[in-house]
Amino acid sequence: MNLPEKPKVTLEDLLRLKRAERPAADFWVKFDAEIRAKQLSAIMSRPWWHSLSRGFAFLGRHQLPIGAAAALALAWVGVQYVAVPAAPQHPLRVAARAVPTRTARPAPAALAVAKPSELPVEEASVARVAPAPKAIVAATASHLVSAPADLPAAAPAPRSPFSDGIAVTLADYRTSAPVNARAASFGTDSEFEMSAPRPPVADPLAQMDPAQERRSRLLDSGLPSSRTLVSDWIRTRASSDDRMYESMDHASSDHLLTGIRF
Amino acid sequence: MNASKTLEKTLVASPERKLEADADLAVVRRVQAGDVAAFDRLISKYRERVVGIVYNMTSNREDAADLAQDAFIKAFQSIHRFQGQASFFTWLYRIAINSTLSHLRKNRLRAFFSLEAIREDDPVSKEVVDALTDRTGVGRDAFVRELQEKLNDAMQKLSINHRTVVTLFEIDGLSHQEIAEVMSCSVGTVRSRLHYAKQLLQAELQPYLPK
Repeated sequence: MNLPEKPKVTLEDLLRLKRAERPAADFWVKFDAEIRAKQLSAIMSRPWWHSLSRGFAFLGRHQLPIGAAAALALAWVGVQYVAVPAAPQHPLRVAARAVPTRTARPAPAALAVAKPSELPVEEASVARVAPAPKAIVAATASHLVSAPADLPAAAPAPRSPFSDGIAVTLADYRTSAPVNARAASFGTDSEFEMSAPRPPVADPLAQMDPAQERRSRLLDSGLPSSRTLVSDWIRTRASSDDRMYESMDHASSDHLLTGIRF
Repeated sequence: MNASKTLEKTLVASPERKLEADADLAVVRRVQAGDVAAFDRLISKYRERVVGIVYNMTSNREDAADLAQDAFIKAFQSIHRFQGQASFFTWLYRIAINSTLSHLRKNRLRAFFSLEAIREDDPVSKEVVDALTDRTGVGRDAFVRELQEKLNDAMQKLSINHRTVVTLFEIDGLSHQEIAEVMSCSVGTVRSRLHYAKQLLQAELQPYLPK
């Protein structure tokens, strides 16, 4: 009687045994609890760059329309920039705006050309009070007429703590030294020299009183001055020393005293 | 040929896998839209397979649980980057295997085995054990335990890459193309590694393989 032959076991059959190595049911209960806790922890402690990476993933998915939109926006901005250039801030206008004049003398060309409504209050009042003819303006401020006549008025500069501080300092400076402050509103030193009120030049000879001069001369001769007294004393002292040396020389020649000199 | 096209061919060749991938993609889209609870369905669906792969690579139950959980969490954290070009199954496997390979390389000199019991209610395993021994009762259990340890010893003697290929092909049932996709290598490399690994295992398990 033949026994039934056992099926031949191969390597694949042995490895298939590994599939039957399965954990028990409680393993999966613990597994689910742990993975839920880890998942919750991952949700709660998402790093800050997680939103960035999500945004980049969105960009990656829609890169074609986003790129096209970005190119279109850049082109539009470029066209706008070329079509409407920014109003140039002429240095002359800036300087004139920074140092307004108080006097009613002919204003610089830039101030005269600008409309009163475009100027600050103080400058506008000056422009209204003293409308300078263009010929005079050109003659007095010829070195400033480099600004174009049709220069648009610059927009008022935004206020800042620095500009306020400068304005206060300038006001103090004008109050304390109005003459010096005027120098800042002129272009050259010669112009300032011509405009500044000069004190009268006094000749020292013309200022001398002849009677006083005569009195002092007489007093000098009558009363010895301290300089005269000192010179007389020096002179007297020198002559007395000479006389003493001569007497001592005579004594040495008489062999009474030898070699004593002071 | 890039990886996504390789996977696409695999999916076209397997309609069931294609349907499975489409169903997974629908769930993934829900998670990406903010339905976090939908990810639990993916965990329940793939947890046994992921844990099985990691367990057969590490031969350690605790490490397998930790690594599988980490793989799911990594997938959850990176789900917004999943674009659907590959199947979620392949993507998840790749995460799990990369984590396991990294873990094995870090702990190359430290290996603790904690094995699960072979469940003999599985018809295939019962048939194999019956073919190998006539013992019953306690003697049969001791034989199965010894066989299990020998199998794990033989697996651990393989290199990490060879062990991964054997695990994915023989135990988890992936095709060569899917393994190539998961391991980011060519199909020829997969076949070569599989052939070499089987030769080594054959030599190790020769006493349990009757001629």
